[in-house]
Amino acid sequence: MNPDLDLVLQRVIRAPRTAVWNAWTDPSRFAKWWIPAPMTCRVDRFEVRPGGPLVTRMSEDGTTFVPHLDAAFLVVDDLERIVFTNAIDSEWRPTNPAPVAMTAEITLGDHPDGTDYRVVVRHGDPAARARHEELGFLEGWGTVTGQLAALTESQVPR
Amino acid sequence: MAQYSAELDGVFTALADPTRRGVIRRLGRSPTSVGDLAREFPMTLPSFMKHVRTLEATGLIRTVKLGRVRTCVLNHDRLALVDGWLAEQRQIWEDRTDRLERLVTDPEEHP
Repeated sequence: MNPDLDLVLQRVIRAPRTAVWNAWTDPSRFAKWWIPAPMTCRVDRFEVRPGGPLVTRMSEDGTTFVPHLDAAFLVVDDLERIVFTNAIDSEWRPTNPAPVAMTAEITLGDHPDGTDYRVVVRHGDPAARARHEELGFLEGWGTVTGQLAALTESQVPR
Repeated sequence: MAQYSAELDGVFTALADPTRRGVIRRLGRSPTSVGDLAREFPMTLPSFMKHVRTLEATGLIRTVKLGRVRTCVLNHDRLALVDGWLAEQRQIWEDRTDRLERLVTDPEEHP
């Protein structure tokens, strides 16, 4: 874990593991929660197996859909764990996704009240991505954030 | 979120200039008067003041006038905005988990 790049989320969901698993693995159920209303989600490709595609599109008006996520499942352990990444797309081509590349690991466990639900999202370095883009200045975001980090750290009393 | 993006744009635009980054770096060491700052940068005072005003407008720095001396101070909270992307991703996942939770605990979904 890198606290500057990764996030961890843990919840107890008051529903059986099978219900949570189904919400993650049945595309019609997945589409119901993946994207916030009023936007609608369309699941284009969804094969919950290692290497399988996870492609979603979203729409504001229910008619015109724009790309949302083009990712691939990495690990699928039945009723226990799902790992996917957008660092490669659904065709396994390396990508440079916006706003930042990530690998998400979702773990389901038993809990007396339902399901112990954990998410770990490991992000790439957003500065690394910015270096590949025209951000309107030559030195790049990476240099700037590096400088900012250096100067703010030097200011924080330890 | 739109307002957050606009603020972020402002901060990055302000930081897109080497003089302004130099000012930020200098103020990271200590608050400094406009006059002392200006002497460290090879340009006219009016040109330099434009940069100071740009930084001030984005909230990256504050200026305080004491008598005849105007002093620039770095605003660390504002700089922290550029670290905001992780907080934003966390919020997305928290909201997503809220929706998942609502779906799987909704009795109408499990008749």
